[in-house]
Amino acid sequence: MEMLNHLLYGFEVALQPLPLFLCFIGVLIGTLVGVLPGLGPVAAISLLLPATFHVPPVASVIMLAGIYYGAMYGGSTTSILVNLPGEAASVVTCLDGYQMARKGRAGAALGIAAFGSFIAGTVGIIGLTFLAPPLASMALRFGPPEYFAVMVLGLTILIFLAGGSMVKSLMMACVGMIIGNIGMDPISAQPRFTFHTDILLDGVGLVPLVMGLFGISEVFLNVEQSLTTRKVFETNLKGLLPNLRDWKESIGPIARGSAMGFFLGILPGGGAVISSFVSYGIERRLSRHPEEFGKGAIAGVAGPESANNSATAGAFIPLLTLGLPSNAVMAILLGALMIFDTPPGPRLVSLHPEIFWGVISSMYIGNAMLLILNLPLIGLWVKILKIPYPILFPLIVLFCLIGVYSLNNKTSEIGLMLLFGVVGYLMKKFKFDGAPLILAMVLGPLMDKSLRQSLLMSGGSPQIFFDSTICLALFTIVAVVLFVLPLLPMISRFRKKVGEVEESP
Amino acid sequence: MKHLDQYAGIFWLVVGGAVTFSSFYYGVGSPSEPGPGFITFLAGGALTVLSLILFVASARSKSPFQRLSHLWAGLETRKVVYILGFLVVYTFLVGPVGFLIMTFLLLFLLFRVQGSYSLKNVLLLSAAATVLSFIVFDQWLGVQLPRGFMGYLLF
Repeated sequence: MEMLNHLLYGFEVALQPLPLFLCFIGVLIGTLVGVLPGLGPVAAISLLLPATFHVPPVASVIMLAGIYYGAMYGGSTTSILVNLPGEAASVVTCLDGYQMARKGRAGAALGIAAFGSFIAGTVGIIGLTFLAPPLASMALRFGPPEYFAVMVLGLTILIFLAGGSMVKSLMMACVGMIIGNIGMDPISAQPRFTFHTDILLDGVGLVPLVMGLFGISEVFLNVEQSLTTRKVFETNLKGLLPNLRDWKESIGPIARGSAMGFFLGILPGGGAVISSFVSYGIERRLSRHPEEFGKGAIAGVAGPESANNSATAGAFIPLLTLGLPSNAVMAILLGALMIFDTPPGPRLVSLHPEIFWGVISSMYIGNAMLLILNLPLIGLWVKILKIPYPILFPLIVLFCLIGVYSLNNKTSEIGLMLLFGVVGYLMKKFKFDGAPLILAMVLGPLMDKSLRQSLLMSGGSPQIFFDSTICLALFTIVAVVLFVLPLLPMISRFRKKVGEVEESP
Repeated sequence: MKHLDQYAGIFWLVVGGAVTFSSFYYGVGSPSEPGPGFITFLAGGALTVLSLILFVASARSKSPFQRLSHLWAGLETRKVVYILGFLVVYTFLVGPVGFLIMTFLLLFLLFRVQGSYSLKNVLLLSAAATVLSFIVFDQWLGVQLPRGFMGYLLF
């Protein structure tokens, strides 16, 4: 009953005109960036972050969250119609979605992707509603050593699941940690790595960093490949409602994808990409006709699309309850909440219930909006898909420039963004993943603080990290993830597969 | 060098070494009293060790020989250089010259880099995007975009 009251309070917040309007704008922009290949939710959220500083925190976070789960919806459209993933979590949808389109069943594929996303998104939010509050109250008992251990575990799992070379991911986490600690030391107020400049005294801004690493670098990579026009499949876009047979074949995958996506979403680094892969693998294994997979099996669209949407709701759990981001999007949201002076964590639910419950309730509304938005507007998304890249990229650059400048009205921040744009471009060339860098950069100052506090508490003895059961359990998992799991052949095959997908354009 | 990761290994080795060394300047402290350079010392040290591992592992790898130029083979990288050049010039001049003129020029050049549109269309598109973004961000959202010398004449 208490939960229902909280939820009703959340709806009261989310249904106010401004949050409701921004929720709509968020899911609309999210769908748009999901549809457009080469512009993912990380870039879109970082582009729009500065614009949200002019509205109340709750409305701003509602909009940013809307972009995230909206992008998961939109990504499927491009996969199905163009055979190009709109964003990384929709890579698997290309396999069967595009084949369905080739057979003239694009409408059914788009329809089941939208309905599956809606059902899974709602299941995920219900899980978030019931799981987040008890976890937050448990997290209140965490001290600096436990926090440090949770952050180490989060980073480790992200590095492990990032795909590709683990050494490179670890290196990027170290670089992120170093960048995160540039600026004034919070304990001694001594400037670190500022090169005697004022620009770096407050640290490296999250916005110039992510816009550079994910926005500008993406433009550089796309421009040199001469992306011009895309071939869009437009056969039979009418019958968007799946028939009874489609439903029969999809309901199981949707249910399994929803449950598994949610739990994988909670894991740091797990998120939408991994869950869509796992779902596809499971569905193919469980199917009575595995030979149809890759040739237009509707279960191959329904399962992964449900899993990636459910995962987005799961990803909010560690952020809202522990204040720890589980992926790059959550890291930016954490940064945004800190800028608004409403740091997420176990106290968020008691100190800022309007944000905690408002965001959760807005996700129910946003999901419904997405379903209404996606089906009738499919023609519009198809038209947008036809905008040639030479027209699109100057506008993306313009958005980046204004966005980063508007933070502090400083052109030096544009320079910083360009620098990270070049770094991001080279990182992608040399196959270094940006996600561990962002996460470590955001967690860097928090880890520095909790590590130093723990050591001060124990008089310098590392024993403090092994005294509590929670710490001991968390560090044991870290050791298993780093040293035991990579040795298992099945796991290394899976990491390699994810790595290949994340590297593909 | 026969593998691309060796270049990356050397680069990050230098960065890691520099960070580790500089951390002493800020004060590493001791485990009982960690100083401002404590965490950067740990991160820099770890980066140094990992870079060495990457360098050695790639040197011993049996994968085919890779030149740096392979990364840019068959791509139109000069476009990236042009765009970067335009953006660097924009960063330095947008303050003194102003948002409207510089953004119009930048967009004009960016639209010309990849597209094959007529001069008239590019001029129209650049002007429309510049004016629209100025109205939305400066006039409606209250972002103080740089006025430059035009500010004295127009505002």
